[in-house]
Amino acid sequence: MNTRKIMKIAAGFLAAFALLATAALPATADENGNGGDGGEVLRIGWAQDPQTLNPFIGLDEESYTIWAINWDLLVNFDPEDLSPSPGIAESWEVSDDRKTVTFKIADRNWSDGKPVTSADVKWTLETLGEEGELFTSYTDNVTAIRTPDPKTVVIETSKPDARIVGGLLIYILPKHIWDKVPLEELTTSYQPSLPLVGTGPYIVTEFDRGRQITMEQNQEFSGPEPKFSELQFIKYGNQDAVERGLQLGEIDLVPEVQAATFERLGEQANVETVDSPSPAFTELAFNLCPEELCPDANFNPAIQDLPVRQAIAYSIDRERINQIAASGTSFVANGLLPSFYKSFYQEPDETYPFDPEKAKQILDEAGYVPGDDGIREKDGDRLSFNLYTRTRSESAYNAQAAKLVAEMARDVGIEFNVQEVSVDKLTELTVRQVDGKPAPDFDAFIWGWGGDAYDPSFLLSLMTTGEIGGSSDAFYSNEEYDRLYAEQSGEFDVEKRKEIIARMINRLQEDLPYIVLTEDPNLQAYRTDRIANVEPACPAEDGDIFCEQAGYAPLLNLEPASGASSDDSSGGSSGILIAIIAVVVLGLIGFFVVRARKRRDEPLEVDEPLEKDEES
Amino acid sequence: MNARWLSGKVAAAVFTLLFVIVFNFFLFRVMGDPTEQLARLPRATPEEIDKLRGQYGLDRPLMGQFADYMGDTARLDLGTSQRSRRDVVDEIWDALPWTLLLVGTGTLIATLLGTWMGVKAATRRGKKTDDALLGFNLFTYASPEYWIGILLILVFAVWLPILPSGLQVTPGAQFNSAFAEILDVAKHLILPATAMTLMLLGQYFLIMRSSMVDILTEDFITVKRATGMRWDRVVNRHAVPNALLPLVTLSAIQFGSVVAGAITIETIFSWPGLGELTFQAINDKDFPVLQGTFLIFSFGVILANLLADCLYFYLDPRVQSK
Repeated sequence: MNTRKIMKIAAGFLAAFALLATAALPATADENGNGGDGGEVLRIGWAQDPQTLNPFIGLDEESYTIWAINWDLLVNFDPEDLSPSPGIAESWEVSDDRKTVTFKIADRNWSDGKPVTSADVKWTLETLGEEGELFTSYTDNVTAIRTPDPKTVVIETSKPDARIVGGLLIYILPKHIWDKVPLEELTTSYQPSLPLVGTGPYIVTEFDRGRQITMEQNQEFSGPEPKFSELQFIKYGNQDAVERGLQLGEIDLVPEVQAATFERLGEQANVETVDSPSPAFTELAFNLCPEELCPDANFNPAIQDLPVRQAIAYSIDRERINQIAASGTSFVANGLLPSFYKSFYQEPDETYPFDPEKAKQILDEAGYVPGDDGIREKDGDRLSFNLYTRTRSESAYNAQAAKLVAEMARDVGIEFNVQEVSVDKLTELTVRQVDGKPAPDFDAFIWGWGGDAYDPSFLLSLMTTGEIGGSSDAFYSNEEYDRLYAEQSGEFDVEKRKEIIARMINRLQEDLPYIVLTEDPNLQAYRTDRIANVEPACPAEDGDIFCEQAGYAPLLNLEPASGASSDDSSGGSSGILIAIIAVVVLGLIGFFVVRARKRRDEPLEVDEPLEKDEES
Repeated sequence: MNARWLSGKVAAAVFTLLFVIVFNFFLFRVMGDPTEQLARLPRATPEEIDKLRGQYGLDRPLMGQFADYMGDTARLDLGTSQRSRRDVVDEIWDALPWTLLLVGTGTLIATLLGTWMGVKAATRRGKKTDDALLGFNLFTYASPEYWIGILLILVFAVWLPILPSGLQVTPGAQFNSAFAEILDVAKHLILPATAMTLMLLGQYFLIMRSSMVDILTEDFITVKRATGMRWDRVVNRHAVPNALLPLVTLSAIQFGSVVAGAITIETIFSWPGLGELTFQAINDKDFPVLQGTFLIFSFGVILANLLADCLYFYLDPRVQSK
């Protein structure tokens, strides 16, 4: 091989690239989201795609997002306030003893044309409710599911359970397809065949793993026809790339934006951002495990002294945490139940507004006096605690919040030694067991929880004695709370239930197993030149635009912005630029070729002979 | 070709591969009990964890697991992804062509361009062309690939929006013909391939340049010049072929860094290849997939080295005579 040949090949490559770039121009014309049938495509971008479409084994949020569009629940959520609304069942009736609920199945068809029957409901609740990794706890109290006729389902429970209406987060699957697969396979490796037969407005027709999920309109869908003909979920390599994709108009909607970039993204042309509350929160949790339950727990006993926790609560400026650690995108929390639960939320009596003077006063009264280093102590008990949090890479917000908490508590004489650990390590510290008994090994940590869309039972259950050894990570135990919990879970009357829950939350605010710092937001962004008629939903007025994981109803309202398909503002100029670059590249190639030819014509090389390098 | 020599090389490669396979097994066992990662469900009960352990054969003694693992690997069964519950082989198979396309394009252009610039610089040693080329290549060689990648995106996708910022095809595009689709992919390939090229370019250039400088000071070059042969002919016919030798070795050795670069570049440009698969698997602690991609990468490096050995055998008679 000689240099000229190399150069020619290189030139050939450059030329090919230039040609490709130029030739790619016509392709830009039809790339802006036109579906094959001429309808409009809604392109949604994310950095992580679902691990599987099989609800028996899927664990991640992204899977839920797809399921919630593809399928219905027995009882859906009303996007207005997330209260129960018709889903697979068009109506329901609760018996007087509240232990039997009778559902009337709506006259609907699966996307393959077969009718939806009570057998589908029974099979799904029994099979997915028993075996699906994420769905098992919902049917704990169910004793029998009867199907007197194809359009009636009767669910009987051992005790009244309000979750049966509005809290059965189990997507109803078509029995005629799923029961052909052996259970063993369903719970291990089964990948459903496409199109994914469902009842939702769109069904999955293509799953190009790691790249794209395509959902097309379900022709059998019984509700109003969606305005977009197709949904495409496009996977990017990382979150920054997703947001850049939106900014450049490659996609139309991002269901999950990072807090750090939220504000800047909103400043981009044609991009609108939405910051809405979600059923998730971030809390500062304390180790309250009583001696009799956790003999081998490891913690500084001062953390179990109520005045200390009250002082901590008053010393923390939750708004400052929101502003600094969450870039102002979160919402200050008051108590365990996020305000997202519109039907049940009530501001607790005690909200612990930021008041460091009061914190100091409480500690003074409790007998904790500052030592030489400013850290308070009583009878040798120093108010010095460990504070675990997830690492910066796992949650920048948590790590930053922990630092702020330590800083603010220091001002009133309480020391927190912040330790960033992996989620695995944090789990290990909280679920540690010795001789089969819980033995949590921490004083305090910062972490978060997310609840179900409508029914608050899951979040409330975190503080029940029954969950010690289960989900409870503050190891709180209170008889009154446990009794109220049981009472609310069987109360179908929303107003009455709200009353009971308010008492529970007040109880927690007095005992402070958690100081809930912020309600975590749903941060979303969309292109205004692509999507119109965007209304906050889930819940209405201040909710998100997409109702992720809770239902598909708001999707039906979204419509293509007028002229969206033909409007490709960058297309024209990009064409010119590509042409310019092509000309420049071709010019350069020409220049080199001519020069090379000229050189060949020169009779003798005039270069000086080269001297050998000294070193070689 | 010397059959004994070849079989020796192949045996060494196979032995290395076996070692990697064995090492891979223990590496991932040292990293802890996979079920702890698996049980990402906060509410996983001990029974559920036991069930999972059973499913993955983790309740068996280590040696039994090892035997299973070796048998499965021999049958090209690399296990099941913990995340997608698909066969790891399928996951890798889906991603491999994209990586080959990116790495192939990047390496090809870098080799050609690097070699050419190396020759140019060596023949003009000490002059402005040399300084400029050396400066440019040292700069790209020293720049981290993620920085180059982000810069390329900033310039060509954000400031002058003439190229896509990532992905392998235009999202949502419907193509009328296969040709239109190929063009679209090519358009998306330009930036990541450029980043790949810039990452590799410097090394090829530097090796080629120093190799050429060495050769050009050899006596036979002076003799050729003395016969009155044209200078560019001396360079092209006599210096370059000799100087190319170290490049062959370099290509093989560099394959390792190509892999590392692919992980970064594919992630930055959302290019759905093995690198992105690896990155995702690291995030998800998806050990079977990681194990699989490690194996493929190791296999690639070993294969590249073996090929380089064989190529050397042809190119350099000194190896044959030994």
